[in-house]
Amino acid sequence: MSSLSESNSSNVSSKKTAISIENLGLVYKTTLDKRPTFKTRIRRLARRKRQTRIVHAVNNLSLEIKYGTVLGVIGTNGAGKSSLMRVISGILPPTSGRVEVFGKVSTLLALGVGFNGKLTGRDNVYLGGLAAGMNRAEIESKFDSIVEFAGLEEVIDAPMRTYSSGMYSRLAFSVAISLNPNILIIDEALSTGDARYKVKSLNKILEMRNEDRVIIIVSHAMKTLKTVCDEVLWLDRGKIVAQGDPTTVIQAYREFLHVGEAPESDEDL
Amino acid sequence: MKPDQALPSVIYQPFTHGLPPLGGYAKSLWARRQFIFEYARADLHQKQYGSILGQLWLVINPLILAGVYYLLLIIIGAKGGPDRFGHLTGTLFLFYLITNSITSGAKSVTSGAKLILNASFPRLVLPLAETLIAFMKFLPTLVVFFVIHTILGLPYSLHMLWAPAIIALTLFFAASCAILASTINVYFRDAQNLLPYFSRTLLYLSPVLYTAQTLDAKLNFLKIINPLFPILDTWSAVMIRAEAPDPTSLLLALGYSLFLFSIGTFIFLSREREFAVRI
Repeated sequence: MSSLSESNSSNVSSKKTAISIENLGLVYKTTLDKRPTFKTRIRRLARRKRQTRIVHAVNNLSLEIKYGTVLGVIGTNGAGKSSLMRVISGILPPTSGRVEVFGKVSTLLALGVGFNGKLTGRDNVYLGGLAAGMNRAEIESKFDSIVEFAGLEEVIDAPMRTYSSGMYSRLAFSVAISLNPNILIIDEALSTGDARYKVKSLNKILEMRNEDRVIIIVSHAMKTLKTVCDEVLWLDRGKIVAQGDPTTVIQAYREFLHVGEAPESDEDL
Repeated sequence: MKPDQALPSVIYQPFTHGLPPLGGYAKSLWARRQFIFEYARADLHQKQYGSILGQLWLVINPLILAGVYYLLLIIIGAKGGPDRFGHLTGTLFLFYLITNSITSGAKSVTSGAKLILNASFPRLVLPLAETLIAFMKFLPTLVVFFVIHTILGLPYSLHMLWAPAIIALTLFFAASCAILASTINVYFRDAQNLLPYFSRTLLYLSPVLYTAQTLDAKLNFLKIINPLFPILDTWSAVMIRAEAPDPTSLLLALGYSLFLFSIGTFIFLSREREFAVRI
């Protein structure tokens, strides 16, 4: 199969800055209702209840990530991991501070897998690629290898609502790496793939590391993080608690959680 | 150590004055034009409009609708011959281009949640794609209109060459409304429940079931306060009566479109950064 990520074209010398984050703050207002409507707005106004909640997702965070790094990001739910990834990807603009990204970023975020279930896998590949900035000719030239890597040749023209969650994530990963990114961000997005695909995707991640790209993996799978990461970042309440050697940081995080070496904390990527 | 000079560099900083840098935004929007076309094509294909039967339905549906309204006009005793039916079909088809754009555009951001949460792209492409879908649905009805126009023996003249300009103006207006409606729907999800009533009211306030010339003098204010009025009246003049468009109506339609576009895009762009946390 042809290479999805064109290994030679995007090699970057090690130890160059890939992402520079200075005093980043991310605050946003969100509604207390899951589905805000005129009705709920009026009801809350009448009862003099609060309409919105201010979320301080990231607080004065500074970080530099060099090329050739596989960075694992850990933290409890609501620690600001996904928000940080979305700022680096340009999905959420910062409220304060500055983020500079050198190179092309491709994202694979948990909630975004499978864009439109009504459309076929083929349509989703094209739409995902075009939204990410590729042109039609580029996608056409990579289409067969994307589908082959995902192992979805037989169902690519079926609507994505008929896919299993594993098939969704295989296609999303395949599209993400086809963008030939310098920086790949994976946010808890591979946990639904089967064992064979997990090995395949981990091998791809290691291959990308050898090509001096940057891979950021947000995961609760400590064992996998220890295996593939050069460095682990522990976030809590939007701040960095620890950063450095995976074994040391993960051990400190486990002690914080009081889970020790519990097998549950070694869940899949 | 300095980064590789060959690598593209992007800086993310807080927005100033609530808006993203407009030059960069416009460039990024232009770069996603293929996405808009692909999104529209995939949507129409998924709704079976790619097949012959599907396309036939695109023609039959508005024809039935025009037939039903014409029946209504006969029952209520409205006067008029072939030109009345020509006016009804022509303006009804254009009216549905606008309301389809508003109705689908309203849902465009909320239904594009997964894409918004996963990728960085100018969100404006979503309502614009819905306007394009409405336009693609309108095109077959234009062919039907010309067939009806010919069968009814309605006049042709060079003034009909104004049609592309009026369609362009209509698309500009429809896209502006779709942009505004999509933002409102993010904050008030029940807004889309009101749209069918809104659309029905607009129909009765617009020169579709009646002509501007037959409008009671007491209701002449509708010509000014209803933004659809000058668009549909100009369309009727050019396409049904084959007359030159009224410059005042054209300017009024352009003024309304520019106003709605400015308001709609300002609100959309200043709120766009919140969409990922609101949907």
